Amino acid sequence: MSLAMNAPIASYDNMCSHDWIDAPHSTGTSIMAVEFDGGVVIGADSRSTTGAYIANRYADKLTKITDHIYCCRSGSSADTQAIVDVVVYNLNFHATELGEAPLVESGAAVCKELCYNYRDSLMAGLIVAGWDRKKGGQVYSIPIGGMCVRQPVSIGGSGSTYVYGYVDANYKPGMTQNESVEFVKNSLALAMARDGSSGGVIRIGIITEKGIERHIFEGDSIPKFYEG
Amino acid sequence: MAAVLIADYPEPGFSFENCKRNASFVANGFVPPKATKTGTTIVGITYKDGVILGADTRATEDTTVSDKNCQKIHYLASNIYCCGAGTAADTEMTTQMISSQLELHRLNTNRVVRVATANQMLKQYLFRYQGYIGAALVLGGVDSTGPNLYCIYPHGSSDKVPYTTMGSGSLAAMAVFESYWRPNMNEDEGKKLVRDAIAAGIFNDLGSGSNVDLCIIKKGTAEYLRTYDEANKKGVRQASYRYPKGTTPILTTKTSNIDVHDVSITYVEPMDMS
Amino acid sequence: MSILSYNGSAMVAMKGDNCVSIATDKRFGIQGQTISIEFPKVFQMGPHLYVGLPGLATDTQTVVEKLNFRKNLYELKENRRISPKVFASMVSNLLYEKRFGPFFVEPVIAGLDPITAEPYVCNMDLIGCINEPEDFVVGGTASAQLFGMCEALWEPKLKPDDLFETTSQALINAFDRDAMSGWGATVYIIEKDKITVKDLKTRMD
Repeated sequence: MSLAMNAPIASYDNMCSHDWIDAPHSTGTSIMAVEFDGGVVIGADSRSTTGAYIANRYADKLTKITDHIYCCRSGSSADTQAIVDVVVYNLNFHATELGEAPLVESGAAVCKELCYNYRDSLMAGLIVAGWDRKKGGQVYSIPIGGMCVRQPVSIGGSGSTYVYGYVDANYKPGMTQNESVEFVKNSLALAMARDGSSGGVIRIGIITEKGIERHIFEGDSIPKFYEG
Repeated sequence: MAAVLIADYPEPGFSFENCKRNASFVANGFVPPKATKTGTTIVGITYKDGVILGADTRATEDTTVSDKNCQKIHYLASNIYCCGAGTAADTEMTTQMISSQLELHRLNTNRVVRVATANQMLKQYLFRYQGYIGAALVLGGVDSTGPNLYCIYPHGSSDKVPYTTMGSGSLAAMAVFESYWRPNMNEDEGKKLVRDAIAAGIFNDLGSGSNVDLCIIKKGTAEYLRTYDEANKKGVRQASYRYPKGTTPILTTKTSNIDVHDVSITYVEPMDMS
Repeated sequence: MSILSYNGSAMVAMKGDNCVSIATDKRFGIQGQTISIEFPKVFQMGPHLYVGLPGLATDTQTVVEKLNFRKNLYELKENRRISPKVFASMVSNLLYEKRFGPFFVEPVIAGLDPITAEPYVCNMDLIGCINEPEDFVVGGTASAQLFGMCEALWEPKLKPDDLFETTSQALINAFDRDAMSGWGATVYIIEKDKITVKDLKTRMD
């Protein structure tokens, strides 16, 4: 028996190439938003990955558009950041022309317009949520492709697939603010536990007439469930 | 109409005129050559008084070390520097161009430029080229808002972070940071931490090597410490391999002299005009 | 096979004591077939300034034309000689303009500053990333061999005569181990008051 002399040894490329450095930086994510009487609760995990590497373990995916409108980002980091930058610019301009705070549906509409028009080159799934004088707390879901729909509760990102059942079973119309926060926390904890590209801490934002109130839940304060 | 006597201004931006030809080379089985990569370890941290950036100094072309002591910490403004990893030409040219835009911005506004501005300009430029400009950057500086550190990816996303690493040695360097970084470190602790992180990259990653460069940016000052630490000292050669004169057989020799006019400059007292 | 090694070339430039050298082989081949042994790859861009363009021969010639054009325009506008450092930036910009459809040349530049006579050598990759070491630069299909030779032979403060021997031996011994380059060599020694060009006797196989 002869030894295979030409057996491929680990090539230099294999030894020192890191596919993740070339892989687009994306927020494989769990995001969520719930309407309640008087506002909305938004939430997200804090993990951002390039391939298998965690590029940032305390990322902030709850991005401000105006004082009362926020956006939960999922998909490509570059794409979603670029979209939000343009939306912020457009909405600030709109607010100046309007002379008052823009409506949440305006924010959602601008996001949708970009996501739809550039649907072939973007990888972005957004949830736009906020409060306005006209309709109170509102959640708009803008998945990949650029559709826009108002939902009383919305989940998104790769982690969301694990908790659709939980959300359907546990969402009750007319929940209070605290009930909504607990609901978002539990849903995200379950999603983060199952989804490899979600994790880190739970970031929560409560948007009401007074603006946003932000919370971070980490370590022991993240709800625990069956882990078998 | 194109002027006959005066050349047209060259078209700005990239030229794609060779692309079709080069694609035909590839179609005929010729491998496109690899550009110089800075298979790199670059890092940045914030500390009590500002930010510290660090980098190794190896540049590679495939498996060959093409530069043993290159500069990977680039100047952007007097209060902002930027480490570059990825395609060496891209990081060099991108930072040069943004640096010039920032200087114009400073002149226009008459204010110290902000790190957030540099971040926004860089990410928008990189996003425009959809990742084809292979520059992964660690951007750091101090402005009116205090110390700022950003991590910018080739596709145009960026994170604002307290400490970060990038390049092929980023895993080794991040391991050091995740173990030892704390908020509000002092300057000596910060310098040691950054040195250790770069050294981890130099010794554990094949794409990184040679020396440690540091850049310490505080309010009002930036200190560029080129070759802060020589992680690998070259041995001193014991004997000379010098060839004796006349070793090389010569066919023809042609010497052309150059007239050198040495110009000496002397200061002349200005004329008394009163 | 890389398109950079289609025609074959070997090039090296070294810093010495108030002098610099640049040396090149003279082969022009199409893969294995040698077409010419008198092919110029190093070009004079000023009294003290030379540029070598190893790589794809068609691009060597295209790039040198473009460089001459830009350099002449610069010297007419500025009414002074171009310095090696500025020339390097010029080459770099020309190449980076074609970032997404590059010329297949990896330039080597050697020269003395027209004012201070400071020695300068640099090379760059095919999209214009400049490398400015304090000892030597190499280029072409024999670059791996040249790296080895130069790393062993080069020493600081070589006088013109010694610089010639060191450069020549580095080049000859490198391209003797490269099938794609060789077949004669030319060495340029650049000093403040004179340029010496020597054709070397080499193996012709």
